[in-house]
Amino acid sequence: MAREVVSGISVSTGIAIGKAYFLNRSISSNLPRQTVPVHMNAGEKERLQYGFEEAVSELSAIREKVPAELKEHKLIIDSHLMMLKDPKLLKAATKYIDDLCINAEWALDKAVNDLEKAFGALEDKYIRERMQDVCQVAQRVQAKLIGGEEHLRPIEGRAVLMAHDLSPADTIELEVNKLMAFVTTLGGKTSHTGILARTLNIPALVGAEKIESSIVDGDLVIVDGLAGKILVDPDEEELEHYYTLQTQFEAYQSTIIKSCQLPAETEDGYRVQVLANIELVEEISAVIDNGGEGIGLFRTEYAYLNRQELPDEEELYEKYSELAEIMSPRKVVLRTLDLGADKFMSYFGSLDEANPAMGLRAIRFCLKHEDIFNTQLRAILRASVHGNISIMFPMISGLKEIHQAKAALAKAQIELAAEGIPYDQNMQVGVMIELPAAVMIAEILAQEVDFFSIGTNDLIQYSLGIDRTNPHVSYLYQPLHPAIVRSIKYVVDAGHKAGIGVSLCGEVASDPYCVPILMGMQIDSLSLTPQAIPGIKRILRQLGMQECKQLLKEVLQCRTVARINRLVTDNIYKKYPEELVFFASLLDNEEIIG
Amino acid sequence: MTQNSALRESSNEPSSVVVRTVIVVNQLGLHARPAAQLAQESQNFKAEITIICDSQEVDAKSILDILTLAAAQGSSLELKAEGVDSVEALDCLEELFKSKFGEEK
Repeated sequence: MAREVVSGISVSTGIAIGKAYFLNRSISSNLPRQTVPVHMNAGEKERLQYGFEEAVSELSAIREKVPAELKEHKLIIDSHLMMLKDPKLLKAATKYIDDLCINAEWALDKAVNDLEKAFGALEDKYIRERMQDVCQVAQRVQAKLIGGEEHLRPIEGRAVLMAHDLSPADTIELEVNKLMAFVTTLGGKTSHTGILARTLNIPALVGAEKIESSIVDGDLVIVDGLAGKILVDPDEEELEHYYTLQTQFEAYQSTIIKSCQLPAETEDGYRVQVLANIELVEEISAVIDNGGEGIGLFRTEYAYLNRQELPDEEELYEKYSELAEIMSPRKVVLRTLDLGADKFMSYFGSLDEANPAMGLRAIRFCLKHEDIFNTQLRAILRASVHGNISIMFPMISGLKEIHQAKAALAKAQIELAAEGIPYDQNMQVGVMIELPAAVMIAEILAQEVDFFSIGTNDLIQYSLGIDRTNPHVSYLYQPLHPAIVRSIKYVVDAGHKAGIGVSLCGEVASDPYCVPILMGMQIDSLSLTPQAIPGIKRILRQLGMQECKQLLKEVLQCRTVARINRLVTDNIYKKYPEELVFFASLLDNEEIIG
Repeated sequence: MTQNSALRESSNEPSSVVVRTVIVVNQLGLHARPAAQLAQESQNFKAEITIICDSQEVDAKSILDILTLAAAQGSSLELKAEGVDSVEALDCLEELFKSKFGEEK
């Protein structure tokens, strides 16, 4: 048995076996705290000064290495440099050395804690969160003080990178080709670490809270990116199991990659489009390499987050046109700004809302902030001449919102026409169906738009009334709840009746247990994370439309989630016993057993 | 003189205390980027420069201090400079406030 098993959230799949290499730990743990004799105060102050100077020169050197396209990285590093050069932090820490006769590390930690209190008292959430930057900066100085070793030790052999948090500056410094996996204490599903790991095609876990207390440098670890866990100090048997699994996974990966450029067509010739969900232009290569036939969901929020000012029309236009041009003639569906709920712009900070998921978000936010919406709409319209762009509005709850959003689009079109700027007059306009209300009036909405895209992540949460990030109720997150299956079917049928295409984006689209049911409904396209495309395409190519329709029919007769899950699992498992090992499913396994 | 520029100036003599009132006109208030610019510019001068906001007085050369003011759009701030280049310093900082820290084009 492994000495310990630490769980985390998998943000990039795969298996890695290697030695742990800690890039950084939380500052407060392991910090040497000592009192020093008065006559040594001067020496501690000198060390402290030296630590700051070293940190500044290190960070300046990193800044020079930042590639030009990572403008946001550079700006973050700039503000970190300003903080390092800020006399205040150094002065406060120096004063602690004088007053309390303590070592430099302890003094700096105390000074940072004071700042944390001052920041914590601020009302402005955005500024309060800048404390995280202060901590990252202080951590760099502490690394210089402790042991005096290089911030980045050379990586020997291939290593599993462990860190409290990976800052953009850290990722620039890393010799990424030597890394087999990333594991961090902090971070969530959308963290930068995941994007980087998926680009490098290595497994990554975030939110693995126990790594710092359970793992030390050089420990042998197995990172299981399929199940979201880390085995510390595994035994022979576990090693053997995982080596086999790793080999199988790699073999499976190379098989699915080979066939991923083939069309997604069932055995009996039913064609479905497999598209990708992305948020960065840099992810396009992953879309194409994995056989994505277009972009079914481009999340446009990224350009608005982690920065202090709003992006202007030119910047957005450049980004969208680049996307359209590279993907052309394949389609690119741009979803207009979906801010609010869990994503806030630094520009506004978070609104003081008791229930942000039901608050001023997505289309509601855009209709309220006409200028911001207009800038984005103009940029999308201008980019539309460079490729095959469609637009879709998120969180539509009724007809009026569609009319208002379309009016805003028409206004932008009139402006551009008056300015003599070209745009695609036939750009398709769609809506996201992610509220139960939108499901119920799908027939009415279908008269107004060119396509539907069902956003199942939100639809499940709003339909079942649960927040799946809330551990107390996450067991109720059931993609195959009879209400959800019926909702999706209702929307697909309503769309088809009106002669418009229906797409589905959301994790359900990358779940091998759910996909056959969606096929039974004759969904037109599925949009999923690029890395999941080859596996789902392979599953699709082995399905027969008749069996999918039959399965759907049986599913619709079931009265409980447990029954549906069991039915689906039995059916699908019989068909793909080997490859299902490599998929994580959204279905609740306990429910199946029980 | 526009509303966001100097409203009063107590003295023009070199090396004495100069005080001016400025209004934060940029939409974002004194967030990270403006705070960094303000601190950076202040560091170019020998004068001691402080910013006073509702009786809270902070060092204009410190980005951390400026951030803790959390001065939102519309806040009225008093800039105080003391030293040989105090007038130049405040001219320069005032210009930053006026230009909204380059936030809007």
